[in-house]
Formats: sequence, C-alpha cells, structure tokens
Amino acid sequence: MITKIANWFDERVGWKAVWETIFLRKIPKVNWLYTLGSATLFTAVNQAVTGILLTIYYVPTPDHAYDSVQYITTQIPMGWLIRGLHHWGASAMVILTVLHMLRVILLGAYKYPREVTWFTGVFLLLVVVGFGFTGYLLPWDQKAYWGSSVGTRIAGSTPVVGDWILRVMRGGPDLSAITLVRFFGVHVWVLPASLILLLGIHMYLVIKIGISAVPKREEE
Amino acid sequence: MNEKEKKTYLEQYKKDKEKGVPFYPDILFKDAVVSLLIFLVLAALAYFIGAPLEERANPSDTSYTPKPEWYFLFLFQLLKYFPGELEVVAVVVIPTLAIILLFLLPFLDRSTKRHFWNRPLISVLVIGSAAGVLFLTVQSIRETPPPAEASQGDPVAALYTENCAVCHSGTITVPEGTNLHDVIAQGTHEGMPAWSGDMTTDEIDALAGFILSPGGNALFKEYCSECHETSELVASDPIELKAALDEGDAYAPHAEVSIPEWSEEITLGERTALLNFLVAPDGQRLFATNCAQCHGRSVGFAGEENELRDLVSQGGLHLEMPPWRDTLNSDQLDALAQYVTASSDSGNTRELFEQYCASCHGKRIPTMDDYDQAREIIASGGAHETMPVWGEVLTSEQLGALVSYTMEAAEGTSLEAGQELFAQNCAVCHGDFGEGGPNPARSDDVIAPISTTEYLTTRDDHTLFQVIAQGQPNFGMSPFGSTFGGPLDDDQINTMVAYIRSWEANPPVELPPEVDSSSVSLSSGEVYAQLCAQCHGPEGLGDVGPSLRDPEFRAGNTSQDIFETISKGHEATPMIRWGDLLSQDTIQELTDFILGLEISEAGVKPEPTPGFSSFAEDVLPIFEAKCAPCHGSMGGWDSSSYDTVMTSGDNAPTIIPNDVENSILAQKITDTQTYGTMMPPGGKMTNNEIQLILDWISAGAPDN
Ligand code: HEM
Ligand code: HEM
Repeated sequence: MITKIANWFDERVGWKAVWETIFLRKIPKVNWLYTLGSATLFTAVNQAVTGILLTIYYVPTPDHAYDSVQYITTQIPMGWLIRGLHHWGASAMVILTVLHMLRVILLGAYKYPREVTWFTGVFLLLVVVGFGFTGYLLPWDQKAYWGSSVGTRIAGSTPVVGDWILRVMRGGPDLSAITLVRFFGVHVWVLPASLILLLGIHMYLVIKIGISAVPKREEE
Repeated sequence: MNEKEKKTYLEQYKKDKEKGVPFYPDILFKDAVVSLLIFLVLAALAYFIGAPLEERANPSDTSYTPKPEWYFLFLFQLLKYFPGELEVVAVVVIPTLAIILLFLLPFLDRSTKRHFWNRPLISVLVIGSAAGVLFLTVQSIRETPPPAEASQGDPVAALYTENCAVCHSGTITVPEGTNLHDVIAQGTHEGMPAWSGDMTTDEIDALAGFILSPGGNALFKEYCSECHETSELVASDPIELKAALDEGDAYAPHAEVSIPEWSEEITLGERTALLNFLVAPDGQRLFATNCAQCHGRSVGFAGEENELRDLVSQGGLHLEMPPWRDTLNSDQLDALAQYVTASSDSGNTRELFEQYCASCHGKRIPTMDDYDQAREIIASGGAHETMPVWGEVLTSEQLGALVSYTMEAAEGTSLEAGQELFAQNCAVCHGDFGEGGPNPARSDDVIAPISTTEYLTTRDDHTLFQVIAQGQPNFGMSPFGSTFGGPLDDDQINTMVAYIRSWEANPPVELPPEVDSSSVSLSSGEVYAQLCAQCHGPEGLGDVGPSLRDPEFRAGNTSQDIFETISKGHEATPMIRWGDLLSQDTIQELTDFILGLEISEAGVKPEPTPGFSSFAEDVLPIFEAKCAPCHGSMGGWDSSSYDTVMTSGDNAPTIIPNDVENSILAQKITDTQTYGTMMPPGGKMTNNEIQLILDWISAGAPDN
C-alpha cells in the first residue's frame, strides 16, 4: 500500500531522484568534526521554528514587547520551552557556526573547488551575528535596552559615516520605538530571507560538489 | 592551483568517494546523534535556567551597567585597549580587516596542501585569533563586576559602575593634566551630566582616585576598608597618609590597633597606587587641599616648570615669617614657643596660634624640640621651613599633576591679579601705568616713571621684589612685604612683579627715556600729544587737568608762568615736575606751543565748585584713592566702607557727624590735628577733596 502511494507520487513528482541525490550519494569517510555543519543547520531550523512560534504572540512595541515576552514565558503552554530553545539556541548557533568555520579552515575545505561554498559561509556568519545583535533588543528589558544602546553607539563611533550608521540603526538619534520595529523587521524578515537564500546555495553546493575528504598529512 | 593540480585533486577525491559511505544512513546517523544531543542540551538549559528576563527597559535609569550579548564581549573588551582616538581601530579597523581576510582566505592560501600540519602559518593564525577572542571574552567577564555584587562590597566601584560604566565601560584613560574632579563635578563634555548634584565632594574625589588608580581601590578594599570608610580618607592630608603607611603601628593613631608593618606587607608600587587612589593625582584638588591653606586661591609663578617642580618637591626654606616680636609681647612669645615644643595645650595658647599662625600654618602645628630655638625663630621670623618637603610625601603622579596645574593656574591669572594688586597698592603714587607723579610722601619730589623700558631693563625681578617687599624708606615708600610688616605675601609680590615686568613687552604709556635728551628732535606738538594730552586733552581743552585754551587761564598766565608751572609742576597733582624729565628747550617749545593754541571758551573748567551730594559717589572714591592703600583691612582705621569708616580705628570714632572741628579725620586732612601727623602723609589732598569731606561731615555724615 505505502509503496503504491510512493510510486504514485514518484511518477508525478520525481522525489526518488531527489532522495537518491541527497541521501543515497556516496561520501568519503569523514569524522565527527564534519557533523558541525549539520548541527548548525539543525540550530538554524530550531531558531526558525521557535522564532516563528514566538512571533505569534510577540509584539514589537516598547509598550507591549516586555509584557508579551513575559506572557509567552509564563502563560502560554510550553511558552517557556519555545523561548528557552530560541534563547539558548541563538548562543548555540553562534558557537556552532564558528566551530564549523574553524573546522573548514583547519581542514582546508575552503580550497578548490569549494571557494563559493566558503563565500556563502562567510555571509552566513555575518547573518548569524546580525540575528544575535537584533534579537538581543527584542525582549525590551534592561539588558536589551542598554546593551543595544551601547552596541549601536559603538557602531556609531565609526569615523565619517558613524553618525549615519547610528541613525540608520536606531531610526533616529535615540534608541526608541522605531529602533525596536527596525530590529524586529530585520530579525524576522530581512535576515531569515537572507539566511534561507544563503543556506540554499550553501547546501546546494555541498551536495553538488560533495563533502571534502579528510586531508592526509603530507610528508615533506 | 593549476589545471594539473586541480585534475589530480578531483581524481583523488573521486577515489576517496568510492571508498566512502552513503550519506544515508551512515552520515545522517552521526548528524542526527549530534543534533539530538544539542537539542537535549538546549531543552535542559530552557528547563533549568530558562530564558532570563530582567526588569522592563527603563531609559531614564542610567545606573544600569550595560552588557552586550556574550559573543560581543570580546569586541567590547578590545575597545578598552584602544581608548580615545584609537577607538576606530577596535570599532572599524580590526573587524573590517578580519572580515576581509576571511573573504580572501581562499585566494591568500592557494597551495594544494590541506592538512593543518602542512599549513602552519594559517593554522597558527587561526588558532591564535580564536584564543585571542576567547581570552578577551574571559577578560571582559572578569573585569566588569556584575552590578549587584559591585554595589554591595565596594562603594567606590559601585559609584563607578552605577554612574560611569554606562558610557565608559570598564576603564577610562585620562589625559595627563586633566582636572578630573572638575570634569566629574561639572560634566565638561558632550552628553555627560554634571555629577556634583548627585555626589558629594568626597565621593567625587574617591571616584577620581578610582579612575586614576583602580589598583589602589582594590588595595584599599583589601587592607583598609575593614576600619575605614573610603570617604573618610579620600583627599585627606597626604602627609598623614604617608606617615600611616610608612610607620606602621608606630604611627600614633594606629598605636592601639594591631596592624601589620605596611611597608613590609605591601610593596612600594602598591603603596603608590594606594596613595594615588586616596589622594587622586589631580592638580587642582591637590592644590586646594594642600597648598591653598598658605597660598590662597592662586600662586604667582613666572619661572620654568622644572624650577617649580624642584621648589615643590624640595619644600623647605620657602615662606618668610614676620618677626613676631614686633607684634606680640614677651609672654605671648613664651606661650607660643611652649606650645610648639611641648604642645602644652592651654586654651589661650591655641587661640593665640589660631589668631596669628593658623593663616599660614593651617591646622598643622609645627613642632620643635628645643624651646629656646623655637622662641628665637618665632620672635625673629624670616625664612623658615614652612613648606613640607612634598617630594617625600607625594607620589610622582601626584607631584606631576600638582606642578602642571600650578603652572597653568599661575599663567592664566597672574597678570590680571597683578594688575589688581598694583592698582590697589601702588597706583596712588606710581600712577595707574607706573607713569609716576608727585611724591605724596615728600614735597618737592617727583616719582619717576617705573614703566619705561629704561627702568625695567635695568632692574631684574629680584630687585623689583626687594624694592616692593622692603620699600624705599628713604623715599617715603613703605615696605609691602608681609615679612616687613606690609600687607602682601611673597606670592602676591611675585604676581605684581610679573605684571610690572609685562610692561617691558607692551609699554602702557609712551614715556621714552630719550625724551629728556634734547638730541632727540620730537616736535613740541608730539611731546604735547604724548605727555600733556593725557590730562589736558588732545585739543588742549582740558580733561583731568584744566583747559589750556580757556580765556581766563590765558589772561592770568604769562609765558614765564607757564614755563615755571611745567618745570616745577603742581604739588599733589599728577602735574609733576616735568623739568626733571624734559630739557629747558623742550619746555620752552611746549610753552610756545600752548600759547599758540587758539583761545576757546569750550574747555572744561578747572576745579568745578565742590558740592557734596552722596557718600558713595563723592566721598568714598576719595577714601579709596587716597586712604585705602594704607587704611585697609590691616588694622586701625579702615576706609573701605561706610560702616568701617564710621566705627573702626584705634581712636574711633574718627568722625563725629556735624562736628567738623572735633572729627579726627577732618583734623588730619586739614593739618590741624592735635596729635600724630597730617594725612595723607605725603601732602594735602586737593582743596576740592578736603572741602567735599568736610561738607559731608557737616551734613551729618550721611550714608547715601
Ligand atoms: C548558518 C550557518 C551554516 C550552516 C547551517 C552551514 C551548514 C553546512 C553544512 C551542513 C555543511 C556540510 C559539511 C559539514 O557539515 O561540515 C557545510 C559545509 C561547508 N560550510 Fe557551512 N554552514 C554554515 C556556516 C558556514 C560558515 C560560517 C562557513 C565559512 C566561513 C562555512 C563554510 C563551509 C564550507 C567551505 C563547507 C564545505 C566543507 C566541506 O566540503 O568539507 N559554512 N556547511
Ligand atoms: C528564522 C527566524 C527567526 C524568527 C522568526 C525569530 C523571531 C524572534 C522573536 C519573535 C524574538 C522575540 C522573543 C524573545 O525575545 O524571547 C526573538 C528573539 C531572539 N532571537 Fe530570533 N528569530 C529567528 C531566528 C533567530 C536566529 C537564527 C537567531 C540566532 C542567531 C536568533 C536570535 C535571537 C535572540 C538572541 C533573541 C533574544 C532572545 C532572548 O534573549 O529572550 N533568532 N526571535
């Protein structure tokens, strides 16, 4: 019965070919360090899922942001888990991304023919950092407010364009309601879109080129 | 990589792949295991710790210590190592460089080698950077105390975290010579509030110490805070602090407590840090707490910074003390000598000390072992060791701050202060610009100008100082130095000398010494314009002096009369004996010049009829000009205000309203006094002035 349905779909969708290219492809024998990329991918999915759930209740205004976060944590069933996963997941994602990058560097995996994979990776790193920076303000508690206030001011101390940067980030000279909606917009729309695009290319390349083999130490 | 290398790589990779495993299930299984583990960890963190939520954001609560998310801490920490102008290095240069390097990595490292052992440079760089970031993060966490903890144990650190850390993060680098106390108190830069409203002076001092010597704060906490509040020790007497640290339990106030020998317990460097913390190396504060007692608000110092540093650090023979035997009687001298040798503290003696000595010695009672010696020093005065040897007391940071502050302060104010002092003390006789005039102390004498280039180039500062301090008794100038019983202390005289010296660069009035040498051919018109016009007006129509074109004046004076007047001057007026300065020929030419001026009614009439109308407007200015130089706050009759005029003086009252005959003041200015000498001692005031004062007394000496 199940095979029948599967075949019916395959005839029309062609999923078996996809399945074969993604999951049944052969791969050089690799070690545990190679799981860091997929672990990062996992946290990205975790962030996306919990993040989307959070947006259901979260309100990005100075009046309600704090209350809505408190409501999520205390009133909604499993709300604490969703927010907890998102909160700790963010840190985990930063750590894993960096570790994944270190593994790529140390094992020379950015070399031919994987340079483009590497470029998308560096952009991904910036996106992840952007997520962390913008997400930090969203709960609108003291650490959020003052941390972002100082963070934006530091960025604003850039010579020449600093003031402009500060105004673009804050939406005015001060940290305000506008800043909050800006950060929210970037956090849930701009960055996720970039993340999906970049990850799409990243994963496409990983599958197409194949994962690198563990390099052997050459005798000189 | 060239084409061949690429091909070799691809072939090798193909072989590796064939020897390899399928993604599903082998690899995917590993990935799933790791992901599941991560999920469990996250869920555990969410369950046991939860996502923290602090107080609601409060934009007006500036006491909050901001902290960025932990993965930005290394940047935050990096900022601390690039203070001020260098900030851009940490904010822009390093991060941008890092990102660019990351992007370029595949182009920078193009060898075929892939194993990290075969690429030592890259490996070391990357691991080094990672370790650096890790180190910075750890450092940042260690350095910023969590707000709660800070406010409990360490009040000064708490002040810092609450008030400064918001903008300044962990440390502030203060440029040398900054008056930190003021910066904090007044909030001198953009966006910084004036803290003086929120903090006490002690707190600001403590904070300044904390900023300039954070290590000292930690030491204070460790060693002193058990017994002392910070606020009780900050900005206190550095001599005492130093003594306490050096002497251990031999230090008298520490005698009762069991404390370690500090000089063994803490190193020299630590003691310096501690002293810097307690008495912040902040010039103005140091001056205010340590020097102002003797030096008042400012010091006049015209020398080099090095000289000043030596002077301050060596202390010693510095201030001149008046010979007290002139002022005090023998019993009082005995009592004082007793007081400083044995500190025998009978209330009377303390009063005596406070009355005469405290203005310079402050609360610091000098001590001596030998009674006779002490008595001799007090009685005869002179140079004596008033100033502590600051070099032994202050740390070099403190000394540096003090010296640079003093230099700056002396530079900023001395000329104005000098001018003021000159106007108060000298201008009566020497003229506002040192141009001289008739000598009030000796008739028939003229005070020569002291602002001429000739005069100034032939006398050095030391000579000027001596002249002012000791006076010129033979010429009727009383001593002004406090050592000689005058009203000015050494600093004030120095300030004045600096002012007088400044005339050399910009002469206040053109009175070239060449004028009296007839060889210089100034036309009479030019001489008039330079000398006479000051009083008689550029047109000769009069100003301070009478009009020279007035018909009456012309009718009453022959050419000979005018020649005589110019040569001999008028007694007790600014019309000096020009004959002393100008040659006969020049005076004759001047006379002719004056006679050549067209006669005109338009001039200012000389000697307007006296008429008293107001004390404040008519009488007091005369007192100020003629009497105040001597009759000021020095004791005796004080001419500075209505109240003192009426009530002060050894023979008070000097003025009996409505009774001119019996008013001592009236007697003295009209030279009808029954005792003592006429006033002013140099000669009578003008008839006008005398009449005004007499009119005022007969009008009942009103205060209007
Ligand atoms: C959101 C962040 C990222 C995700 C989810 C992600 C995901 C992955 C995954 C699943 C792989 C397969 C191989 C493995 O697991 O090691 C991979 C490979 C790779 N990634 Fe990433 N990555 C991310 C960030 C980065 C970054 C920051 C870089 C470098 C700057 C990078 C560079 C690479 C390269 C060069 C490969 C190919 C490695 C090889 O073939 O051995 N990635 N990535
Ligand atoms: C992809 C879609 C995402 C959505 C829709 C989303 C949405 C949200 C929302 C609504 C919040 C506010 C709730 C709260 O503060 O607890 C939030 C917070 C946050 N997000 Fe995301 N997010 C996403 C991805 C990410 C990613 C990838 C990161 C990580 C690098 C991240 C990091 C954060 C952080 C650090 C917070 C603050 C959490 C806290 O401390 O409470 N988010 N996010």
